[in-house]
Amino acid sequence: AKLLYMVVSSSAVPVTDLLDRASQRSDKLHALSTSLSQELNSHLPLIGRVITPRPSMCHTAALQTPTDKTQTLQLSEANLLSLARSLLQAWMDPLVDISTSANSLPHPARNIISNQVQELQEHSKSLEDGLDILSRKMGPVAQTISFLPYLRGNDISQDRISSLINLQFLMSCFRRDSHKIDSFLKVLRCRAAKLQPQMC
Amino acid sequence: LVIYTPDAQGTRYSPPGKPELTRCRSPEKETFTCWWKPGSDGGLPTTHALYYRKENSDTIYECSDYHTAGENSCFFNKNDTSIWVNYNITVVASNALGSTFSDPVDIDVVYIVKPNPPEKVTVTVMELKEWPFLRVSWEPPHKADTRSGWITLIYELRVKLEGDDEWEMHLAGQQKLFNIFSLRSGGTYHVQVRCKPDHGFWSEWSSTSHIEIPDYLHREKSMWIL
Repeated sequence: AKLLYMVVSSSAVPVTDLLDRASQRSDKLHALSTSLSQELNSHLPLIGRVITPRPSMCHTAALQTPTDKTQTLQLSEANLLSLARSLLQAWMDPLVDISTSANSLPHPARNIISNQVQELQEHSKSLEDGLDILSRKMGPVAQTISFLPYLRGNDISQDRISSLINLQFLMSCFRRDSHKIDSFLKVLRCRAAKLQPQMC
Repeated sequence: LVIYTPDAQGTRYSPPGKPELTRCRSPEKETFTCWWKPGSDGGLPTTHALYYRKENSDTIYECSDYHTAGENSCFFNKNDTSIWVNYNITVVASNALGSTFSDPVDIDVVYIVKPNPPEKVTVTVMELKEWPFLRVSWEPPHKADTRSGWITLIYELRVKLEGDDEWEMHLAGQQKLFNIFSLRSGGTYHVQVRCKPDHGFWSEWSSTSHIEIPDYLHREKSMWIL
């Protein structure tokens, strides 16, 4: 009953406010992923930088997303939200893996990294919930999610360097995707705020 | 009479020295420019060319605009600029004896955004309960498309009384208007504004706006006497 009440009450919040909150969340999510990536990079041995997989190998690279302003602004509100939700959804499983491997990292900064990963997961989850509410208000196209399969790496057999490299690679993918999510939501926020142009 | 000799000890020519990519910057997340520092020319006429390859493609492109951004630079216009894509960039210096490559640089345009300073900074003296305060207003740099949400800027101001060493800083957030109530005395105040995109670098400070405040403290006293 309590959960139902929360959903009902948050549906009463205007879309502009929901988008404002969502883009604050996505902004923070990207900032977190940046500091986590930097933390990992600063500890990664030089060889790792050479053999880190290319960004085209990220599991989300299969999703067609815009590559400049013109393409982005051409998308409808529903499509922008659908892209943001698809990207976020695609990271729910990998974030669990990231968390597992961060916890077992033989790394001098393991505690810092683990805590940041946990914060990242919490932010992702609450952003996902918020976008769910928004998508229900915006109709069927906004509710469409593209599923991007993620193949779990078998972490147990990996040595220390490989697991670090894999973690660093995943974080670099997530960092780019969180920037996309943030950009799409901020464009959405400004479109919704048309009546209050001082917001943008 | 001037006789030009490249090397007084007896001319020794060589391939060019190694150029260095020094900086890449996008003012608005729609175009960008990279600059380089040439190495030595080896005593011969030397040309520089910038080549780049985008992630997911094996095609190598040469810079299409060496002029717009001045010497030793390459300007990437809107058509040449993609975001969320890594560019692998190399500068090659060539003369008659050979070519020398710079170290390559990898960039994603979303992480090199540094806007131009805010524009049309205006400062006016306002009054509240017969005490003056400054109202500062400004506009975003005209190149930055803030209205569509493509770029989100926050602003910071600094103010100081002429003759003071220290600036007083104020963070304005996304507002384009800010009131400064902390005026200490009459005199000429200097005000500057700068901006920062959501995931980028602070702009330079805007050029200084000056405003003179009459000495209210004295005026007020004389008004009381009246």
